[in-house]
Order: sequence, then C-alpha cells, then structure tokens
Amino acid sequence: MNARSLILTCSLAALLMLTAVGRVCAADLNGPFDAANKLYAEGKYAAAADGYEQAIRQAQAAGVASPVLYFNAGNAEFKLGHLGRAIAAYRQAALLTPRDSEVLGNLAFVRNQVQGATVRPSPWQSWVGSLSFNEGTCLTAGFFWLTFILLGLKQIWPALAPRLRGITQIIICATVLSGAVLAVQSYSHFRGQTAVVTDANAMALSGPYKDAVNAFALHDGAELSVLDRHDDWLQVTDGSGRIGWLPGNQLELLPGA
Amino acid sequence: MLLALVAGCFCWGWTASAITFTATLDRNSIAVGETATLSLTFQDGAPDGTPALPPIDGLDIAYEGPSTQTSFVFNGATTENTSTTTHNFAVTAKKPGTYQIPALSIEINGVRLSSQPLTLTVTGSGAPTAEEMNNGSQVAFVKLVLPKKEMYVGETAVAELQIWLRDDVINFGNLQLPNLTADGFNLGKMSMRPRSRAQAGNRLYTIAPVAITVTAIKSGTLTLGPLTAQMTIVLAFNGQNGDPLQRFFNQGERKDITLNSDTYNVQGLNLPPNAPAGFTGAIGRFQMNVAEGPTTVNAGDPITLHVRIQGSGALDTVKMPDLSGWNGFKIYPASAKTESSDGQGLEGTKTFEEIVTPQNADVRAIPAFSFAYFDPERRQYQTLSQAAVPIVVHAAGALPMPSATTTVKTTDNPAAPADILPVKQDLGPVIATGTPLLLRPGFLAWQSLPVLAFLAALIWRRRTDSLANNPRLRRQRAVVQLVQAGMADLRKFAGENNSEQFFATLFRLLQEQLGERLDCPASAITESVVDDRLATLKAQPATLAALRELFQLCNQARYAPVRDPQELAAVAAKFETAARELQALKV
Repeated sequence: MNARSLILTCSLAALLMLTAVGRVCAADLNGPFDAANKLYAEGKYAAAADGYEQAIRQAQAAGVASPVLYFNAGNAEFKLGHLGRAIAAYRQAALLTPRDSEVLGNLAFVRNQVQGATVRPSPWQSWVGSLSFNEGTCLTAGFFWLTFILLGLKQIWPALAPRLRGITQIIICATVLSGAVLAVQSYSHFRGQTAVVTDANAMALSGPYKDAVNAFALHDGAELSVLDRHDDWLQVTDGSGRIGWLPGNQLELLPGA
Repeated sequence: MLLALVAGCFCWGWTASAITFTATLDRNSIAVGETATLSLTFQDGAPDGTPALPPIDGLDIAYEGPSTQTSFVFNGATTENTSTTTHNFAVTAKKPGTYQIPALSIEINGVRLSSQPLTLTVTGSGAPTAEEMNNGSQVAFVKLVLPKKEMYVGETAVAELQIWLRDDVINFGNLQLPNLTADGFNLGKMSMRPRSRAQAGNRLYTIAPVAITVTAIKSGTLTLGPLTAQMTIVLAFNGQNGDPLQRFFNQGERKDITLNSDTYNVQGLNLPPNAPAGFTGAIGRFQMNVAEGPTTVNAGDPITLHVRIQGSGALDTVKMPDLSGWNGFKIYPASAKTESSDGQGLEGTKTFEEIVTPQNADVRAIPAFSFAYFDPERRQYQTLSQAAVPIVVHAAGALPMPSATTTVKTTDNPAAPADILPVKQDLGPVIATGTPLLLRPGFLAWQSLPVLAFLAALIWRRRTDSLANNPRLRRQRAVVQLVQAGMADLRKFAGENNSEQFFATLFRLLQEQLGERLDCPASAITESVVDDRLATLKAQPATLAALRELFQLCNQARYAPVRDPQELAAVAAKFETAARELQALKV
C-alpha cells in the first residue's frame, strides 16, 4: 500500500465514522404525534401529554428518540401546571438537540416559574452542554484523525513539513481541548445525575425511610443534584446546599451533573 | 403557698373474701388550680379495665395510670402472697367549694366492692384581695388582665399577666408558670413585655408583664385562671432599699415564693348568623390593598396579584380570598408572608402572592373579589371588595416570536421568553439512541486506524531514509533486482540458443554480483578475484569452484560459442545457485 492509497483509506474511514450517528425513518411515530398535536390544539392537554408520552415510549422501544416529541410533551405538561415534568421533558429534548433555540427558550421560561432553591447549570456546564455527548465524541475523534493524518503527511512528504507545522500545532491544541471537554462530558454523563421534582408536595426527609424527620420542602420543578441512593430513595441536594432524602416516585431522573 | 399535708382518708371497702378496695386522696384540701391525687387501690384482685369516675362539676379528673406491687411474707412453713394494684387520678380544682367524691362500686370476680365517699375542700386561689394589692402591703403579687369582658368564638386577644414587685425586691428570677387554668380558651404564644413602674399605696412597684395570646373556643362563661407563678426574689435587708451602695455590697435575702392570681371570667359569644360569602373565619379589623401586574399579556402569561391584608386580629386565620370561581384563568397556589408588628401575631400585615394566567384572548379583566371578616367592636361582618381590573390578553400565537428564542444560540443562560413557544407540527428527524459512541467497540477500533497509518508512514520514512544514507545497501538491492532480471534474460537466450548473448549477459551478471559483494566496480572483476578476494568472505569451496567454472565457460564461449540449449540452461541454473550463495554471504 503506497502513501496515497493509505491517505484515501483513512479519509474514507473518517467519513464513515462521522456519518455513523444513526438517523432512522420516523414514519411510525407520525400517527401518534399528529394525534397528540390535535388534542393539544383542542386544549385537551392531559390527553395530549398522554399521547406524547405514548409516542416517546414507542420511540424508545424502537431504539430512537425525537427531540420534538419531548418538546411538545413539555408544552403539554406546562399547560397542565406540571412544571417539573415540563422541565424534565425540555431537558430530554435539550440533550438530543442542545442548541435548539426553541427548546432552550421554553426551558428558561418554565424554570423562571419555579419557586424556591434549585440547582442550575454553571456557565461552563452550559458551554460544555452546547454539544451533545455524541457530538463531542465525534468532534474529538475528528481532531484526533486530523492530527495523525497531518503527522502522517509530514512523514510521507517531508517537504510539506514546514508548511504544515502551523496547522498541525493548531489541530493538536484543538484535539487536546476537545478531549478535555469530552472528559468533562463523560464524567457528567456517566457519573453525574440530576433530578427534577415532579410532586407539588414533595418534602425532603432526614433519612431514607417514611418516618424520618422532615428536612425541607421542595417545589414542583426544583432541580436537584443526586448524591446517593438507597433502595428507592435518593439523597439529593438543592441549590442552597441543603441535603435530604426523597422517594424516587417524587422525582424524574436525568443524566448530567 | 404551702399546703399542709393532709392525712389520707382511708375508706376500707367491704369484701366477702380477701379482696379489698380502697379509695384515698393524698390530701383533702387544696386551693383553686392545684391538683390532688385520687388513688383507687385493689388488694389481691383487680378490675378488668380502668375504673370509671363520675364527672364532678368544679373538678377536672384525669386518669394517670395504674401501678402494681407484689409482696411475699414468710410465716413459718407458709408463704403469704399479696398483690396490690393502684389506679391514680389527677383531680384539679377549678373553683372553690367543698366537693364530694361519691362512693365507688366495682365488681371483681363476681363480687361487688364499694368504697366510702371522699370529701375534698377547695379553697380560694390564695390571691391577695384588691385592698391588699392597693395598699402596698404585699411584697409581690400577680394580676391577670384581659382587656375584654366579651369575646366572640374564634376571636383572639392578648391577656397580660402582671407580676408586681415592691421596691424592696432588689432582684428576681427563675420565673416559672407551671399552671394556668383556662376553661374555654386556647392559650397561644407567651412573651415578656417591657417593665414599668407604678405606685400602690405609698410604695413603688416594678411591673413585669407577660403577654399570653388567648383564643375563645366556645360560647358561655369562659374562665381564665387562676394562675400560679413560682419565682425567686431577693429582698433587701432593713434600710438597704434606698441606698445604692448598700444594694451593691449587700446581696440581700433570697426567697422562693409562689404567687397566685385570681380568676378572670369572660363571656363567650357566638358569631352572628348569615356570614357573607368569602368569610373564612378572620376576626379583627383589617384593610386590603391589591396590586396586580402586568395588565397586557399573552394568553398563558402569568399575572401576579399581591393581596396585602393589614390590621389587627389573628393573622394566622386570615386566608387568601377565594378565586376558584374565576373563568378563563388558571389559578396557582398562593404563597403567604406574615409580618407581625406586635410579636404576638395579632397586629401586622399578611401578604399573599397569587399567580394567575389568563387562558385565552377572550379574557378582558381580572374579576372582582372580596375579603370578609368579622369586626368584634362593631359586632358585624365587614366585606372589603376589590373591583375588576381591565387587562389586555393577546392570543399566544398572535405576537411575534420573542426575540430570545430567535437569537438564542449557545448562550449560557438564554433569556426567558414571555411565553412558551407553541408545539412543533413537524416531527423532524429521530435520532438513534442506545450506547454512546464512546462506548462502542467498533467506534473505538476505528480510532486506531489513524494511529496505525501514522506508524506505517513513520516506518516507511525511516526505511527510506536508511536506504538513502547507505549506498552499499542500495547497490545490494539493485544487484539483487538486476540478477533476477538477468536470470530471465539468460533463460530466454538459452531457449533461443543464442550463446553469444547468453554468455555476454552471464559475464556481466557475474561482474555485477561479485563487484557488489566485494564492494568494488563491476568492471574490475575478473576470474582472479575469485581466488584472491572471495576466499576471504568465507565462501564455500563449491561456490568458488562454480564461479571459476562459470568464468571459464564465458572465456571459452568467445572461441567456441555454439552450445545446445540444454547446456545453456544448465549453466544458467548453476549461475543462479552461485548467485544465491553469494548473496547469502555476510559482507
């Protein structure tokens, strides 16, 4: 294999990798989606929310997800006054399409309705979160490939080395930076977990059992960081540093720190 | 006030067997507000349940629980076993008088036992008379003051317990209020109020007031007190009270005292009937202020109502006016904040924050609503009304999209729009979920490709550079290729029986191969180098012999060039073998 055929092979591999994010046909979801939209337009928000939920489950069973389904489900839940469920749905949509301005706009609007202490992403977390986890992975992989392609070109055509030096250094820096971002994303994706309160009368307790002393009250829609688990109970902390235990049925869990 | 210990009034019950039943009081005379203990004692038997006592007007009787004692007495060869069960009752006197606790009759094991009646004398509270309080003869006393003689059920007022201390009391402390009898009242928060001074007779007194929140809970005669206060006072010695120096150097005489207040009766009144709509139990005098905003909104936008209710009365009982009948609005639960100005929660402001959202553009106004309360001074219900407030509601989709949603890119905190954006009508692409790319083995395997490609390029570069810097190696590889190509020519010439070209090529190949091995020009190679120099490379004798033979054949061919093809092929094979052996030599 000569050098030119090697480059061609590598380029094809990179192209295949970057287009590997699966996008499948959504024809099967259109029926329940349209039906739920019709119920929403008629003001039947509860039925619409059920319809969106059913479509989301159908998509999950098929191994796919639709950000639009989550977005519309969030709207229906908000119309029902379920701030926590609406926030959870918008955040699921934002995980799939992190730069969708409509999703971000509605999420910000509903978050503003929530009372009491809540955990909000820091500026750097928001910046890192502007890429989905798979997007961050592909970006890092792309820079990684470019780095080694450039290094390989310098070996094959040493005469190009002076001209490639600047771009190579830039690409290496970009690889390191995107790798660091990916590391943060990985930690957040696999280790961090947040929860949204979906119960209007949630009360954090001092321990993971029903007879524990009340610790503090939580409002519907409050976002919490999950610290620990014990059976069906979750130890959480709110934005003001208070720590308590809540049963899992009063929360909706979401990935991310 | 110390009460004398009273001998028990033992009333031995009759029994046909060894079972006995006794009713006793720990004392037969107490003051109002004090508690005596009634004990029902059963020996060698006990009733199945708790003995029941009849209610006695003027006494509060509360069951405290049983106790059991078993004793064994050794009497020569026999042992007597005695079991005693006692049921205790707390008897608290509410008003003075002589009370008869009737004979009690209880059946145990089919045998009916009876006790004798008991008499309990309840004296006054021990409070000094009005004359004693006003002439300055008392070192200390307490007064119970309630500003009202009539209270409506649910009305809350502040009673004041005034502790009066004469000027010869130079200090006091350890105040305890163990008993405050209240019939028809709920007692609430207690707090100390600032002290003041007053004159009674020809003596000065310091007044230490304690405020107590009381709420009437029934109609009829309500009784507050008597109250017992226990405290320690320090009395000045004679002549000490007027001299500050003596007060400083002399600590005085410490004395523990018990003070009793008189009772205070209030008439409890029922609220008038026909309470107005919106009355939720607030009693007092109130004012209401309402602020609302914004008044121009999109359908679904929140409007915040600040309802501020200010005045005197139990603020805890003040509730947000009922808005449940509003059509076209979504009503969220209101939050409330109470700011009390008197420390007792009876004066101040309670502010409700209510968020309502108009659901459609047909809503034209925030409806009127009202807050009703009962004014105990005017003895009538009052209603505070808030008029309807016009508002402008736009349809949610009629306004242009909020700028925040059209300009948001990847900002950290996107600005909140004025309303949620409508649902999307196009499902759009669906995205495959499942294992993240980073965890897929195939994806990770792909990432090794650029590394391997780079390593391949690196190795290739190293080999190229190595060849470029080593001319003997380069010549060696060139000669190998030349010999391979020359072998094809030799076979070709052998097949064509072209002995002239065959031996010319053979001689040239011998020169090239030997020249490369001996690192000298090919033109300088003759048969003589086989013996002179090739032997130093430790070539096999057979190889050397074959090379000599090949050189000789080349020389003979110049004079006798004609040979048959088989001979030429054999010569070519011999050269190939010799060349391979030469190439294997280490130089």
